[in-house]
Amino acid sequence: MSAAKPVNPAPPAEAELPGSFSTRFMRINVGPQHPSTHGVLRLVVDLDGEQIVSLKPQVGYLHTGFEKTMENRTYQQGVTYSNRMDYLHGFAHDLAYVLSVEKLLDARVPVRAQRVRVILNELNRLASHLVFFGTTMLDMGALTPYFYCMREREGLMDIFEAVSGVRMNYGYFRVGGLYQDVPEHFEPMVRKWLEAFPRYLDEYFNLFIGNSILMARTQGVAVVTREMAIDYALTGPSARASGLALDFRKSAPYSGYEDYVFDVRTHEDGDIYARILVRYEEMIESCRIVSQALDMLEPGPVKDPDRRISLPPRHELENSMEAVIFHFKLVTEGLHPPKGEVYVPTESARGELGYYIISDGGSMPYRVKVKAPSLANLQSLEPSSIGGLFADMVINIASFDPVLGDVDK
Amino acid sequence: MTEHAPVGALKARALEALVELGGVVTEANDMTRVTVPKHAVVDALRACRTAGLEMLTDIFGIDYLTYPGHRGKRFAVVYNVHCLHGADRLFVRVELNDGESVPSVTGVWRGADFLERETFDMLGIEFEGHPNLRKLLTPEDLEGHPHRKDFPLGETPTLFNDGRFLDPAAFRAGLTGKNPGLTGWKGGARHGVTSEQGSLPDEGGARG
Repeated sequence: MSAAKPVNPAPPAEAELPGSFSTRFMRINVGPQHPSTHGVLRLVVDLDGEQIVSLKPQVGYLHTGFEKTMENRTYQQGVTYSNRMDYLHGFAHDLAYVLSVEKLLDARVPVRAQRVRVILNELNRLASHLVFFGTTMLDMGALTPYFYCMREREGLMDIFEAVSGVRMNYGYFRVGGLYQDVPEHFEPMVRKWLEAFPRYLDEYFNLFIGNSILMARTQGVAVVTREMAIDYALTGPSARASGLALDFRKSAPYSGYEDYVFDVRTHEDGDIYARILVRYEEMIESCRIVSQALDMLEPGPVKDPDRRISLPPRHELENSMEAVIFHFKLVTEGLHPPKGEVYVPTESARGELGYYIISDGGSMPYRVKVKAPSLANLQSLEPSSIGGLFADMVINIASFDPVLGDVDK
Repeated sequence: MTEHAPVGALKARALEALVELGGVVTEANDMTRVTVPKHAVVDALRACRTAGLEMLTDIFGIDYLTYPGHRGKRFAVVYNVHCLHGADRLFVRVELNDGESVPSVTGVWRGADFLERETFDMLGIEFEGHPNLRKLLTPEDLEGHPHRKDFPLGETPTLFNDGRFLDPAAFRAGLTGKNPGLTGWKGGARHGVTSEQGSLPDEGGARG
């Protein structure tokens, strides 16, 4: 770690920006179809030689109108859309959505369901950070780490597939609990993965995070100071790399995160290396949470027993008229939360994630607003890149770990 | 970094300042919402920031057009602010009629830029003093603001069994008497069309 706090070099004067014909600056259009932009992000960059003079992110290429769609579907159908926004950390979106609806309904989620939610959420965070590592190193020209990271991620994908049936877009968390209990081999599967993973983490550290080439490439580059992070509402690991101890798992615990012992790791430097290091340390913490949650996992129900929230079990339908009525009402009409507005902040792999849901008493939400972390985080790209080199900008994009589905909604 | 004010202290301090500015406080579902008068928005949010709710995490609008039993102004803009530790959170609201604009808070937080642009794009609420109020997410040639409750759904051109073809833009034009524009299904037809906001300044990024 360098002793003095590195500062981005000052950009050229505003008056010299391109307007009339000028050969001093060159305008480059990056993306939207380019692998280093991690999706369909477009950047309009003005360059003075190699130095970035101005940078304008252009988003919206992936705008799909998820919010509007969710307003025209029932509450139960919402989980079909929520996880499609952030395809790398889908469980976080599912969790944020069901937590908001559960708060509206005042649902009581069984302990086992909460534990499983935490396990899957943290494993998904690990999977997301593994993609982050692989692609960030790839942007720096290191090809090997990508294959290493994907290898470990594959084990996680197998777990998610065993649980929910799919590798992406899970839809496994439901309002009031889970879709169904986890399979029998879930616990040994997770334990086996957890046992093997620390060795790989050490390998990552030795191979690339502690690598002096990587340090030289990223330390003191594209600094986001603490003040900038506050001003631009940076959240998540990127904010923690700038010295903000902001983690909603700790400060506003949900789903029983208060039961687990883990640390919020922060770094003061705010450069690309700090953003990489914070995520590396967060993976260690996630492993700690998962193993604690596994130890606390006890048999029990995984759905709210309230028949107005979750469907009755199949066997009850055969001999209980009431069960049939509840089943019919739930399937045809859906949930009817009372009128009100609700917001539950959660911590996704990218930052603060929450669903602001307004209910008008009907079976469909009146308004859904997703506070997705990537959009706000993307704004820090501009001030941290200006004055730096073009080649640094490419890894700077990767270091904020944006998911464009999360940006454009 | 680990030391912070006790939970609720910063919120209480901010609430005090907001009530002084004419804010009306409501509590529900563990959330505190404060409705402030329109002219006091910037002052209110600056007061929040000084009081310790230092992060503006989201801005969004709500259209109450079809909300059952709603009386009062049609739109609301909500500012979601929280403290650096994340435990204290306030929702500052301002209510607006159709066509009313609201002062921009980009002077308080630079990060309000994208958030206000998104709100403008989705609901057509204008922010006075925003340095670059352009659409953020939707294409330039899309007319209207998708999160308004009177924005039509179902923009898929449909060919019926009897051979009747329904072009949604033309269909909507038939209902509203407005020009259908060229926002139909032909991608190529979009070229050279400007949105209702008129021509847009070249910010080095106007899409086209």
